[in-house]
Amino acid sequence: MTSPGDAPPVKPPPSFSPGVPRVASKARYPGQRRDSTASLDPDQVEPRTGPSLTPPLSSTTSELPIRSASPYARSVRSSTPQIARSSLGSPIDGRADAALDTRSLIIRSFSPVIGVYASPDTDELVRQKGFKGGFWELIRPFGETIPGKLVVRDSVGSSRGWEDYGARFVNLGESCPASTDPNQGRNSSLAQVETVLERELDSIDSPSNGALHPQDLLSPSTTSPLYKLYLRQLLSIASASPHETFRHPVACVIAISSRNTAPLESLRQLYADTNNGKRKMPDWIHPEYLRYYVLVHDEDHDDISESTKLYDQMKRHFGLHCHLLRLRSNQCVVTDDNSVQVPECEWLSPSERLSNPSEPLVDLDSDGLLYLFESDVMAIKGFIRELVAQSVIPFMENRVAVWNDQVASRRRGISGRLMSMSRKWAGFGSSSRSSLTGSGGGASGNYNMAHGFYHFDHSEAILRKMADYSFMLRDWKLAASTYELLRSDYANDKAWKYHAGAYEMCAVSTLLNPLGTGTKTKLESIDQMFDTACYSYLTRCSDTHSTLRCLTLAVELLRSRGGSAAESAAKWAMRAMDLGLVEPIGQGLFGERISSCYASRTPLHGVRWGGRHRKAGMWSLFAADMWLRLGKPSLAAACLEEAERLYANVLGSDGVFTMPEMQTFAENLRLSVKVGYLEARGLDIREETGSTDPLDNEETSEKLDRRMHRRSLIASPLDTGSLTLTPVQATRDGDNLANDDFERA
Amino acid sequence: MSHPPRHSSMLSISNNVQTAATPSEKPLPPTQLQATSQTPPGLRVPSNRKTIYDRHLNRTRNGELSRASFAFLFGEMVTYAQRRVTGIQDLERRLNEQGYPLGLRLLDLLFYRTTSSTSSSALSSSSTSASPPNRPLRILPLLHLIHGPLWRQLFNRSADALEHSISPDTPNEYMITDNDPLVNTYISVPKEMNQLSCAAFVAGIIEGVCDGCGFEAKVSAHNQPSELWPSRTIFLLRFGDSVMEREKVLERAGVK
Amino acid sequence: MSYYFTILSPTDVPLFNIAFGTSKSGGDGIARFRFPEAAQNTYMTQFIIHSSLDMLEEAQWMGGNMYLKHIDTYPPASSYISAFLTPSGTRFLLLHQPPQPNLPPSSSSGPGGGSMSLSVTSGMGSSGLFGGSGSSSGRASSSSIAANPTSPQTEEAVRQFMTEVYENYVKTVMSPFYRRGMEVKSPVFRGKVSAAGRKWL
Repeated sequence: MTSPGDAPPVKPPPSFSPGVPRVASKARYPGQRRDSTASLDPDQVEPRTGPSLTPPLSSTTSELPIRSASPYARSVRSSTPQIARSSLGSPIDGRADAALDTRSLIIRSFSPVIGVYASPDTDELVRQKGFKGGFWELIRPFGETIPGKLVVRDSVGSSRGWEDYGARFVNLGESCPASTDPNQGRNSSLAQVETVLERELDSIDSPSNGALHPQDLLSPSTTSPLYKLYLRQLLSIASASPHETFRHPVACVIAISSRNTAPLESLRQLYADTNNGKRKMPDWIHPEYLRYYVLVHDEDHDDISESTKLYDQMKRHFGLHCHLLRLRSNQCVVTDDNSVQVPECEWLSPSERLSNPSEPLVDLDSDGLLYLFESDVMAIKGFIRELVAQSVIPFMENRVAVWNDQVASRRRGISGRLMSMSRKWAGFGSSSRSSLTGSGGGASGNYNMAHGFYHFDHSEAILRKMADYSFMLRDWKLAASTYELLRSDYANDKAWKYHAGAYEMCAVSTLLNPLGTGTKTKLESIDQMFDTACYSYLTRCSDTHSTLRCLTLAVELLRSRGGSAAESAAKWAMRAMDLGLVEPIGQGLFGERISSCYASRTPLHGVRWGGRHRKAGMWSLFAADMWLRLGKPSLAAACLEEAERLYANVLGSDGVFTMPEMQTFAENLRLSVKVGYLEARGLDIREETGSTDPLDNEETSEKLDRRMHRRSLIASPLDTGSLTLTPVQATRDGDNLANDDFERA
Repeated sequence: MSHPPRHSSMLSISNNVQTAATPSEKPLPPTQLQATSQTPPGLRVPSNRKTIYDRHLNRTRNGELSRASFAFLFGEMVTYAQRRVTGIQDLERRLNEQGYPLGLRLLDLLFYRTTSSTSSSALSSSSTSASPPNRPLRILPLLHLIHGPLWRQLFNRSADALEHSISPDTPNEYMITDNDPLVNTYISVPKEMNQLSCAAFVAGIIEGVCDGCGFEAKVSAHNQPSELWPSRTIFLLRFGDSVMEREKVLERAGVK
Repeated sequence: MSYYFTILSPTDVPLFNIAFGTSKSGGDGIARFRFPEAAQNTYMTQFIIHSSLDMLEEAQWMGGNMYLKHIDTYPPASSYISAFLTPSGTRFLLLHQPPQPNLPPSSSSGPGGGSMSLSVTSGMGSSGLFGGSGSSSGRASSSSIAANPTSPQTEEAVRQFMTEVYENYVKTVMSPFYRRGMEVKSPVFRGKVSAAGRKWL
């Protein structure tokens, strides 16, 4: 959730609240006015899905999603108010405000990255506690949501508090791939996302999770948890790459423990490693990131007075960016007093998720669940809060201010414009003279064509870093204007990936800026930016993952704007599907998403038009079709139900399509979903008892009943031709032949 | 005055499955009764191969119909409608229902004729330069359409007055006045049927036009004799709530 | 360019359907639609048309023209929908799909992508003087109209087509045996619409 001061981009459309009455004003003409209240009649709404589906589906829609909420539900066991508060901000809790929810998710996916580099003795200490990955693994889950409000000042000096701020801890050095070719492995990363989803779906379908129902994943009209998982996966794929600095470390935690025999020397050695040793960053990562020194004190074995003394020494040598973290070295088990379960990592990349073979969703060691002492949790949380609030954010604010002053303002001023112009036209560059008409015509020459990056101290790289910093500090206005500044530079240099990134982030930050009004021209220019970004990503760089990420961001942010932006969101989603970027499960999810984009457009008050219910319904049906083909009849059933809810607004009370082949398609789909669903359930039934048999009988009879008052169904659904159509339409449209009271000659 | 019987002369085939029951309601010229062999069953194509689609819609545009024949025909319609009615209201309702489909049709024809007024070729549309008239979106343009073009097409003159209800309770009521409606000219209503206005037929036409344009409305005809005009008739149009709601939205949107 | 033309009553009931291809630039007048679901594409046109009614209802009240130009697109099939509204609320909808989509090569997502023909919906009156029932083979070569569905030339051609259909529709409506909401079954009407399609599209 964003802070209360944040002007919400759109009021959540009323259709998002599950209990919204279906206002299906269908009064066409007086002779054939159909009362809107008719669709509220359960007889007419409910049985339109295969009736066998409705009981299990509708009965539980009010329940909270059990699975997705579970890790947090468990962590609530701790009585600390901070943990309770931290779980408030978690995206999978809130299903109330779907639009703001995904927006917050996107914002949090661009959290500052903090590297962790711990001495071997520290890692050893932490391993004793059961964390195989060492210090990094211990603190990582706690960084994702920082408890309490964090105040950030923007470039004009006004402060804003954020409740949902977070930081991403990475193992320093692992975050950047060894090879300079960032494309490598990216294409398969989309396949990994698909695999994660597949596992997730399988875990739902498997009988062991019998308590779970698919509507926990696919709740109508809100963002489904499955889609959120997809979104999170998509946004957490990226590893550090030259063209954007979101994954470049903003700071590095250098940790030693109280066991270290030569603490100060170790710290110096670790620092040296990050500067020019084995953890040296590649040339495209700015090396002047914040170093933060942590002394981990072993509460169980070491003397606190010794550590305090050492800590004072550290402060004298390394300045204020130090922290004394007091942890117990003993392993905590669930039976211990004050044990707290370690929260799940929200932002696991797909490959990390896949490396957990046993449980796809929950990040667990094979040993089982991990626990920490409450005192440890408090200490870690305090440490991270202090780190972010007092060191990282001020550091970033400072860098943005300095760069803005030294680099950006020069570019923004008149001389800067002239310079960029002269650069463009005369090849009079800042560092080198490149030929006017050569391949890099008008290019600054700063761009390293061979390896595809700007050296970190070139102004293009610094500006990008500044823009990214201000983006992560949520100063979207400054970010947008800086990205805008960069776009032409990158184009001149033919640095296409940078170019795409600048366009993408420019559009994203413009959309995130709550003050930016959604005027038509603005929306068009945003569409244009996304278009350029996609073209550069896909056609020039063939980076499918970035393209998909860009498109997904476009979809979600435009959708959260509502109104006509939601429609162009749907267009972008279609584009993503069209480009073949989306794997089968993703296709189903995108289909649902398109539907919900259209559904978010509600009719104007008092009139019939303005909504997009037909489009939304159509895409829900298509999504159901896709799920069915993937062999997920339960998901298909949920989509079908959603489609009928949407179509109830535009179809007559009998819910029959006026177009025969649409009706046939819908009928067949319903039938096969039902068959698939019953088959899936039938397997379960055989394993359990025969208790569901009476239910089946009931369903069959209900089905027959239902067909009686659906005229078009009297004929076989495969043969719904004009013959069955005629009587229906005669009564609908005709001039009331039968009832005109005239004598028959 | 253009009137449905006139159109019947242009008909040659019907595409209605339900015509079998009423074959002789409007006798067709004998040449058109011979069905050719290769057509699908139920449809008759005249031997001269001239179907309604081959005739021109504007040919009879300025043709006048004999007043006498109209009077006779309308008299027959009233008589027909009067059979087995329960009362005056019932009779008026039947007359209204007879007029309703006519209104729907006239609407399309009216627009077609205005669109293609400049041309007389078979494909009249091809040479029009004038932009076609707009469909009425608001109540007032609709009323002007009825008051002007529609009345002129039917009676060769405009209606005499167009008023909006002054009562704040009924903002949805409008009145169109005809001082001397043609339909009532040759009809003298018996004293015991004082309330009856055979102009209910015209009210039905108006209702059909309103409905066709998407304005749900109830239209009724009322006698309002004055000194000067003994058969003055007022057509009262009451628009439905959905129409009034839409008016507000369109007003805000600035749609004229 | 492949076309699917349909007439809908004010309550969305289809009164008339026809599918045809372009006859310009050597086109053979046979519709060849490409839809992702190659096997069951007959319903796709109807879904696309039906979904465009959302846009139509909005456009209907935002302007008083009878010809509403192209009101909607369906990007996955790169289809465009043009609409014409008669004063009495009957809707003429024309779905047109250019022969070569302007899509970047899609990688394997949809099966096929081969051109598929759409036969005139059976059971809709006469079995079709101009039923497009060609087999899936070479696409109609692009014509000047087909090249750009949103160009003024295309809009004008569609407008002419619509106006001509409108004329014939008025004639149909004038028949006392035709009542509102009835299917138009006359083969002559079908022939006239096909002729208009050949002439303008």
